[in-house]
Amino acid sequence: MKTMAEELFKEFREHSVSEFFRKNAAMLGYTGKIRSLTTIIHEGVTNAIDAAEEAGELPRVFVAIKRVNEEPEHFKVVIEDNASGIPEEYIPDVFGKMLAGTKLHRHMQSRGQQGIGISGSVMYGQITSGRPARVITSTGNGEIIREDVMIDVDQNEGKVMNVEKFEGKWRGTRLEVEVKDVAYQRSRYGPFNYLRMTAIANPHANMTLVEPDGTLTIFENATDEVPERPKPMPLHPWGIMSDDLLMLAKHTKGRTMASFLSTELSRVSKRKAEEVLRLSGINSNKKPAKLTWEEAEHIVSAFKQVKLLAPPTAGLRPIGAAGIENGLRQILRPEFTYAVTRPPKVYRGGLPFIVEAGIAYGGGAGRAVEGKGEGEEIEAEAGMELIRFANRAPLIFDQGGCAITTAARSIEWRRYGVDISTAPLTLFVNVVSAYVPYTSAGKQSIAEEPEVFNEIRGTVMDVARGLRRFLYRKIRIKERQERAGVFEQYLPVIARKAARLAGVKEPDIKALLKKVTGVEGAEES
Amino acid sequence: MPKRAKVTREGAHRQRASGKLFELGKSIIDDIQKACPPKLKIPSRGTSNIIYDEGHRYFVLGPHYGVRSAGSMKQVKKFAQLLCTADFARELVENGKFATLREMYYTAEGWDAGPFSDQGESDMIIEDLEVTFGLKREDLGLTPEEDGAAVYGQLVLSENGVVIDATKAGRGGYTIPPTIDDVKFLKCKAKRVIAVETMGMYHRLVQEQAWKKFDALIVGLKGQAARATRRFLKRTHDELGLPVYLNCDGDPFGFHIAMVIISGSAKLAYINHELAVPDAKYIGVTASDIVNYKLPTDKLRELDIARLKQLQKDPRYNTEFWQSEIKKMLELGKKAEQQAFAKYGLAYVVKEYLPAKLGLKG
Repeated sequence: MKTMAEELFKEFREHSVSEFFRKNAAMLGYTGKIRSLTTIIHEGVTNAIDAAEEAGELPRVFVAIKRVNEEPEHFKVVIEDNASGIPEEYIPDVFGKMLAGTKLHRHMQSRGQQGIGISGSVMYGQITSGRPARVITSTGNGEIIREDVMIDVDQNEGKVMNVEKFEGKWRGTRLEVEVKDVAYQRSRYGPFNYLRMTAIANPHANMTLVEPDGTLTIFENATDEVPERPKPMPLHPWGIMSDDLLMLAKHTKGRTMASFLSTELSRVSKRKAEEVLRLSGINSNKKPAKLTWEEAEHIVSAFKQVKLLAPPTAGLRPIGAAGIENGLRQILRPEFTYAVTRPPKVYRGGLPFIVEAGIAYGGGAGRAVEGKGEGEEIEAEAGMELIRFANRAPLIFDQGGCAITTAARSIEWRRYGVDISTAPLTLFVNVVSAYVPYTSAGKQSIAEEPEVFNEIRGTVMDVARGLRRFLYRKIRIKERQERAGVFEQYLPVIARKAARLAGVKEPDIKALLKKVTGVEGAEES
Repeated sequence: MPKRAKVTREGAHRQRASGKLFELGKSIIDDIQKACPPKLKIPSRGTSNIIYDEGHRYFVLGPHYGVRSAGSMKQVKKFAQLLCTADFARELVENGKFATLREMYYTAEGWDAGPFSDQGESDMIIEDLEVTFGLKREDLGLTPEEDGAAVYGQLVLSENGVVIDATKAGRGGYTIPPTIDDVKFLKCKAKRVIAVETMGMYHRLVQEQAWKKFDALIVGLKGQAARATRRFLKRTHDELGLPVYLNCDGDPFGFHIAMVIISGSAKLAYINHELAVPDAKYIGVTASDIVNYKLPTDKLRELDIARLKQLQKDPRYNTEFWQSEIKKMLELGKKAEQQAFAKYGLAYVVKEYLPAKLGLKG
């Protein structure tokens, strides 16, 4: 491993890390003042939840966003978890080395879609504020370590400073990053909504948020079950994108491109690898670490021209209908929830995926994050709220171009008894796959692959039917009550007056009342 | 001349009303005891169910009816209101009292199934009862606001035991009350009834002693005849056997005032058998009169022309006389009022015109 790392390190000197970061900032999620802040939180929270799950703990995540020196675009972000902590010697790599994330070797349906991980947050903080990140961690051995970490951009290395150690009984990791040129907003795009969505999709995670104005929100966990971890498996070429390939190439043990492709990818034999390289015009003996972005793109398209076995379908880990309902109930406190997880399907001839959807009606559903922005009021949105997820991770940006959005909008909601422009409705959709077909490297929206689109549409219609049953039942109950009320009011009058007309004693109307309110109620359905 | 005036009417129609109300109550009680939602068949009053009956020569209701059920959520309130109205009518009938439609509307404020949102709603319920029972509202003790018209002539009647001579009720004559069915005809020397459209003409005929000259009861209609007036005319015809003559203006509206008396209106199709006087004869101004008497005229307005054209198609006007007179009036483009005869002197109408029209001349 050490020698590998040294090799890699050489490579990185050629294209400096800061250059890589700057070039790919948009793809890495660092674009725009609001989004950049949300991305920092996303990386931290994703790391925290993953780490806690790996440690077999129910994730407890604390997030605080504090204003620094009363400056409008200067914040300190604090993210703390209850995972296993980080041994001292790994701290520089975890926080200070770009593209060194543990995830890189595990090709599974992962939450962290950006690949660059928490070191990206440290990097972004460092670029904008010029300040190191502070790490406080303990493995629970009675010793708490506090260090400041900076990334040495030229060496692509973490540099630690101001190391201090305390005694204390605590386990977990706390990261503090100072960042400038970002904005806090309690909008759909801001950290509050990000955590709210994360909480819905991760009903086992307990998360606390302190906003810059001091508002404290606790998203309580709805279950005590730690979900099963997705199994790592090699990526299949059909679902791979240029950046995936590039990342893999930096870390492969294969010394040539041919061996790299055949060892790191699923269903690729040496022969197939050579065929693909020939098609892409790349020497099969080329060192993988020297792979360029352009070449990676050629390989990705070349894979589409060769015949391959479809990837195995095992290993998909949906949240499950019960989990989604729990999450929706816990966070939205709705009157009604209903969720469906469909069996796996494939697209592009063999890439497996699962769509699951949930619907919440009434209570806190529908009304998106209310208007409490930074210095500006954001109007609360009325009607249906669509929350999109890929592998449990919230998709917050690029809503318009997403297959989830177009599929949800393609449904004739009135047929399900709702007016989505006014109904207090939250629609949850999670697309689960090791090969989520993102529209772009920004990984915020899902491409309209026909099979994926149709499956999303079908799943949403499933939950909409559940909602319709609920709404109709609700209307029926209300009608029946009204109905009973009307008869209870007027039948006695009829009986009394008829008795006076006929000059007889008032008859007992109990039997009639029962018949009229009961029998006709049944006729309605 | 059959003298049926001696037959006491008083109470007869009230007994019928009492009976109908009792039956209504009884059938509903029976249904309730069988735990069956009470239902009422109410003949439909929609235009499609209003039929001109050639035999009777007036409008009647067709065979269609609606069912109002106390088991329907939408109808149970109306059903209850109908019963409240029926019970209110029962009290009126039992006590020999009357209430106006408006009074009933206000009474409903205190009902368990009230109040009505407007008088139109309560009037509808009353019509429902009328049409269901085949009785007039007056039989149920409910009357419209307005009095009927006036009558002058040799008729003695008894109103609640008070005997009235219609020649001794002042110049204005006897005022026909909404409760005309409670009035007994005691004695009648008149041989015919002449009803006139305007009170101007009524007073002219009274002053010229037309009632004496023609042995007639002079009735002033005051325009479109009230139900009570129509009922009075019907009774004089049916009970006293008097021929009824109608003298109206020579314009489409005058024609129609007469026609409603003769053949009834579509709106009251369900009660026309109590109101229409199909034998009544029109002796008002005609297009021929305008020519023959060289009467002063007015030009037909657009409205008159449109109305005349409507009448041409109306089944009630489907006679040779009316078709030719309407046609002639349209050709003339002129109309004339009853009082146009004043051109020849105030008494002319009594001396010349009416005798001619009544066939009493020479």
